[in-house]
Amino acid sequence: MLEVKNLVRTFKSGDRTIKPVNDVSFKLAQGTLASIVGKSGSGKSTLLSLLGALDKPTSGDVLVNGVSLAGMPDSRLTDYRRQGIGFVFQQFNLVPNLSAVDNVMLPMEFAGMRKAARLSRARELLEQVQLDPGKHARRINRLSGGEQQRVAIARAMANSPQLILADEPTGNLDEQTGEHIIELLSSLSRDHNTTILVVTHDRQLANKTDRRFRLQQGRLTEEASPARPAATAPAPAPA
Amino acid sequence: MSVLARSIGNAFRNKVRTAAVVAVLAVAIGLALAMLVANQAVAGKVSELNASVGTVLTVTPAGGQGFEGGGEPLTADQATTAAGVPNVSSVVGATALRLRNAEAAAAQAGAGGPAGQGGPGGQSAATVTTSLTAAVDAGTLGTRNQAATGTTGSPGAATSFSLPITATGVGAEVDTTGKALELTAGSGLGDYSAASSGALLGTTLAEKNGLGVGSAFTIKDQSFTVAGLFDAGTAFGNNALYLTLPTAQTLAELPGELSTLIVTVDSMDHVESAKTALQAALGTDAADVSQGQRNLETAVSSLSSVKSISFIAFVAALATAGLIILLIMVMLVRERRREIGVLKAIGARNRTIGLQFVLEALVLVALGSAAGAAVASFASGGIASALISSNTTTATGAAGAAGQRGIPGGMAPGGFPGAPGGNPLGGAGQLLTSVTASASPGVIGAGIAAVFGVAIIGALVPALLTARIRPIEVLRGE
Ligand SMILES: Nc1ncnc2c1ncn2[C@@H]1O[C@H](COP(=O)(O)OP(=O)(O)OP(=O)(O)O)[C@@H](O)[C@H]1O
Ligand SMILES: [Mg+2]
Repeated sequence: MLEVKNLVRTFKSGDRTIKPVNDVSFKLAQGTLASIVGKSGSGKSTLLSLLGALDKPTSGDVLVNGVSLAGMPDSRLTDYRRQGIGFVFQQFNLVPNLSAVDNVMLPMEFAGMRKAARLSRARELLEQVQLDPGKHARRINRLSGGEQQRVAIARAMANSPQLILADEPTGNLDEQTGEHIIELLSSLSRDHNTTILVVTHDRQLANKTDRRFRLQQGRLTEEASPARPAATAPAPAPA
Repeated sequence: MSVLARSIGNAFRNKVRTAAVVAVLAVAIGLALAMLVANQAVAGKVSELNASVGTVLTVTPAGGQGFEGGGEPLTADQATTAAGVPNVSSVVGATALRLRNAEAAAAQAGAGGPAGQGGPGGQSAATVTTSLTAAVDAGTLGTRNQAATGTTGSPGAATSFSLPITATGVGAEVDTTGKALELTAGSGLGDYSAASSGALLGTTLAEKNGLGVGSAFTIKDQSFTVAGLFDAGTAFGNNALYLTLPTAQTLAELPGELSTLIVTVDSMDHVESAKTALQAALGTDAADVSQGQRNLETAVSSLSSVKSISFIAFVAALATAGLIILLIMVMLVRERRREIGVLKAIGARNRTIGLQFVLEALVLVALGSAAGAAVASFASGGIASALISSNTTTATGAAGAAGQRGIPGGMAPGGFPGAPGGNPLGGAGQLLTSVTASASPGVIGAGIAAVFGVAIIGALVPALLTARIRPIEVLRGE
């Protein structure tokens, strides 16, 4: 269960303050597949990094299963990032001189998993994201953008987190591969009760999610989902 | 892939830079090790000089060293007394004779008067005839001294003399400075407290007279055999021969009398107190106690300054190595800020990130140290001998001034490690033995620990500082 309460993030640029996240509140039940759409620069990535404990909000709080991130010391936040979430970055952020498998194994290594177990799980995940087995041992900087994106998705799933935050996970993929990834994510939420929040420009993807949000000038509104009626969603924050 | 494997991989990520870093580290660490070896070599040389010369006291009959002519001769009883003084480790009695061959004696007699007691500054010594010819011709000083030995005879007649040969009867196989005789051929005289027809000859004296081990010659019409040859390192020192003590006493017709006691003190620190105690034990009216080789103190002190300079160079080179690794690690961490952000974002603990960079630094330092040791095993021999040979000139110069008591010239036995031209393996082995067998493994340990410590700090501090920043800020970059 993910609960966001009056979240605000402001940046100062010169004498102007911008608010890419302005009083955002919502709740997601465990196992929900949700999407956020919005124009470029509307604050989607900023919101996601707050939820992923990569950034600290100016005000407001994020509660994960009732536990507040606001008061957490750095070491607990690290534990949360390692065990609680999987993050797919818009820029992938893989370690360039390591192979695809090594990158996927990293979070498992940090979690103390044994090497043999790490390796077999990493291979399995790379197969799930349909990375050509011949490229598993290839270094990241020798992979295409779409291949890197799929490695990033596999890495996010490595420690079987309760929450996956994915920033445009299909942005670099062809339609067919994109659809496969969407299938993968929805089966994850369905079968493994993983909460998944996807930022996307892809209408098709958004339409397949349980709940759809729109971010506009820092404010979040929920749209009626064709997959599930909007009535189950909490009232959107007043505009 | 473990943290260690990742660190090793990262150390070789930029191979050109890694090679450059390792090369620079190798030079600095190699220089540090070479300086340490040089330091130990000089220290060894200093203690050898001190041991050979600094701990020897010479006892002569009172007044015997001056022009006064001296009092009572020394006896075996006094040797026993001297041996009982605290910190005295050995006492060797010696009786000196001057040997002249018939022609030299005739020339001297022609110059006027019988051959008298000792030259200026000389000790009382009986003069006897020999079949040997001196290997050294008298220079200006010698001629003047020899002329003065006679009476106030006609100066015109005294034009050229050869120096007398010094024969010393010793109670052990040591020279007049208390240093063990360095035999270059043959063997010693066995029991030095018994009469013997064997003699040890200086190399130049033997050469001059065409003698080798087993050859015969005469002193006072008695026949002697050359038992061995020694090299004292100086022309004057080699124009001498050694007999057993009783033999010399018999030849001098002074049984039981000693012209000198060579007293060795157990350590440099006890020399002053032992000298005072010895003087008190023997009485000021009976004996003079002197410390030989004041001249050598100059040599020792200049060597000591080389020793401290090489130690400073060791510390400086080590500090350079530390600085290099510090700067490199700070640079590496800065360059990989984003990667630290990534690791942190996917849940790496600060200690994991710190460990990864520390291991990477250690890989670089270990490679640098290994290459540095190789550099040192080639360089240290050259450096050490260069440092000391420029000083050996001083040392042998001083020894030359000290006349025949001088230390043997040239390199000390047990010399310097990794002599140039030696094979690299031998060099490394010698480096290892010389460095580890040296008196201060603590210094090496501390030095290496310091470099590793600096490397650890240089990696850990910037890595942890970066890891503490919110991941998003690091990921976004500057
Ligand atoms: N560290 C920062 N300092 C100042 N402004 C920032 C910072 N980070 C983001 N912004 C601004 O906040 C706004 C939102 O940025 P964000 O990256 O969240 O947009 P986005 O919705 O993810 O856009 P896109 O769809 O293009 O990825 C942008 O106008 C951006 O310029
Ligand atoms: Mg974005």
